[in-house]
Amino acid sequence: MKIVGIGMVCSEGQGIASLEKALQRGWKEPVTVVTPHIPGGAYPAYLVDFANLPDKTLLKKIRRSDAVSKMSVLAAADALANSGIKDITQKKLGIILTTAFGPHVTTFNFLDDILDHGDAAVSPTTFSNSVHNAAASYIAMSLHIKGPTITITQFQFSFQSGLQLAQAWLDQGRCDYVLAGAVDQYGDVLGYVADHKLTTARDGKIKPFTFKPTVQVPGEGAAFFLLGNKNGGEAYCTVDAIHTNDDPDHDQSVDINIIDANGMLPDESAYLPSLSKEIPTAAYSPLFGSMMIGSAFNMAAGALMLKQQRQYATPVQDNPHTIRLLTETEDCALAKIRCTGYNCYAERSVIYLTKV
Amino acid sequence: MDTSTILITGMGVISAAGNNAGETLLSFKQGTRNAGPVTLFPTILKSPVFEVRRLPAGYYREGLRTLSLALIAVDQALQDARLGDLSKFRVGVCMGTTVASQLNALQFYKSYRESGAAPMTSVDRFLKGNLAEFIARKIGARGPQASVVNACSSGTDAIGIALSWLKSGLCDIAIAGGADELNHVPYCGFNSLGIANPGLCAPFDRDRKGLNLGEGAGVLVMETRETARKRGASADLMLSGYGSSSDAYHLTAPSPEGVGLKAALAAALSEAGIGPSSIGFVNAHGTGTHDNDQVEGTVLAEVFGPGLKMLSTKGLTGHTLGAAGGIEAVFTSLGLREGWIPASAGFQNRDEAIPLAPVRETTAISGRYAISTSLAFGGTNAAIVIGREAGS
Repeated sequence: MKIVGIGMVCSEGQGIASLEKALQRGWKEPVTVVTPHIPGGAYPAYLVDFANLPDKTLLKKIRRSDAVSKMSVLAAADALANSGIKDITQKKLGIILTTAFGPHVTTFNFLDDILDHGDAAVSPTTFSNSVHNAAASYIAMSLHIKGPTITITQFQFSFQSGLQLAQAWLDQGRCDYVLAGAVDQYGDVLGYVADHKLTTARDGKIKPFTFKPTVQVPGEGAAFFLLGNKNGGEAYCTVDAIHTNDDPDHDQSVDINIIDANGMLPDESAYLPSLSKEIPTAAYSPLFGSMMIGSAFNMAAGALMLKQQRQYATPVQDNPHTIRLLTETEDCALAKIRCTGYNCYAERSVIYLTKV
Repeated sequence: MDTSTILITGMGVISAAGNNAGETLLSFKQGTRNAGPVTLFPTILKSPVFEVRRLPAGYYREGLRTLSLALIAVDQALQDARLGDLSKFRVGVCMGTTVASQLNALQFYKSYRESGAAPMTSVDRFLKGNLAEFIARKIGARGPQASVVNACSSGTDAIGIALSWLKSGLCDIAIAGGADELNHVPYCGFNSLGIANPGLCAPFDRDRKGLNLGEGAGVLVMETRETARKRGASADLMLSGYGSSSDAYHLTAPSPEGVGLKAALAAALSEAGIGPSSIGFVNAHGTGTHDNDQVEGTVLAEVFGPGLKMLSTKGLTGHTLGAAGGIEAVFTSLGLREGWIPASAGFQNRDEAIPLAPVRETTAISGRYAISTSLAFGGTNAAIVIGREAGS
């Protein structure tokens, strides 16, 4: 299956160009978010600045939706546009949206309703938007997509699970193309939970290669991919294999390892044995923040590098374990990239990307 | 590997209609409607609900009722399939839910809101309670996992996804279905939408006034014919097709023309390689809300003709949300196997605006195939075709 279009919304802005800009520039300090319920509480976070996103038309169309839906619709629309395929919505097009936490901010707003007004006086609009598949439905409605529409949540492996399904749908002819993506939102409750259960980087810098102890900086955003088996010439790359729980292809030679390490686990040392002295390793979480669905952003970086035949230096290079890091940004020949993630049970997922 | 036929080799089910398939069939024959006021949480709302009154011993998990219900159905299904050691197979787990995907713990949030601090117990439960992940780890499944959160079609979609996994060779065996508990948050939510029935629900009835919420779980064990043959398992049922389609119309209302449902039915029939005339009966989504039943009944009549045998089991279980597709897949399978379907509970008066009425009494069915449908929030529609093996 090939990646034929990429769309994105993150703290860097909207569109694949925003990711490219961030990869070129390197690390940037996050913003500081004041938490309303904790006196003096403030956390660093990588947040989407909706006011400065270029697309106002879609935002106006979905003004009643929440941030999860807005990010999803914008990223999905970008992925379709980025593909350059005419009349794409007239084809058999499916939607697979993945998320670790879904519209949790809207859920807490609904809990506010219950606590403040009682069971009988809650908002139906808030409830409707708190349902996990609301974002996928907004994509379908906004972009006129009538194919199969699925939302999956699987914490750290949400995105990989969605990719596996996209591959199956394409291979079986259920769809000509699949719009598959991942989205998660920052909220003050999630910030509190993350700070309580993990360690927040007070200097705002995720250090993906320390592995233990780890530090996190919450992020938010959406990354969507238009996937298809047909279009080859203009594609970013091929997704060769998606494995969860095992990696039968681990002996394959790759040019770059991209790891999802981002401080979302207190101990990420499971990554260490998967790395090789011969293969340079990168981690791009310091650009967009710590998210369980961060693998989607890393895959976007990998796909961009394969298309451009250009490698981007890993943005934060603290390296206590002296692993071989990708330290230079430069044009080079790239054939294959492996994206690796681990979940809280130290189970592994891998995505193999290959130059078209 | 022959992946063209996907057998159903095990089933498990729990709902207000019974704690297993045997109890459920008895309830169906008697037309028992185990509804009553909410006992699981305090509320001033009065809409009756279909609660599971007693969990089987050993399954209670504090704050994880959805998971408890799921594990009951999974254990029944594994036992029914005579699946012991799973280590020789790639086993996938795909479960639909709504409640288990949300950190909607009121007390946790109240504490956080009032004091800026809250114990992490609810968070820990939530993080450990992902249905597919928990079940896979408990039974030692090492294949693909997905928790499907597609609102009311989650269970049907989970079964359809498992079908795709099996056909694409991602796993040899799949455990799939849905589970949901009766929960305070959706109970308030459905009331706010004005579709919670103050009395008992009456799907497809002229005087229907909305739905009753319920809870439960329904799970199928499915496998390729080759896997079943290798382990000496036999089956009389198969999952023949799945279709899913979006209305792309409205967040909470179905497309008046039933565009998505028609497409989902067409896709499911096409995959099964059969036409509408091969369908013995349809277990409809039939929630008892005005819009759902109007659209669904009209589409079913259009696709299958006015003589279709059709029922909704929501009058016996309530609307179990993410569990509904799993529970009703089991009910549909049981109907095919037993050769009868129960009366569509709550239905009394035909709605002349709907060109099809559900069955009023226990009804014998013929034909090798049946369909179960789900229509969800967000305009998602899903349908599965279940068939009897030739000669069974």
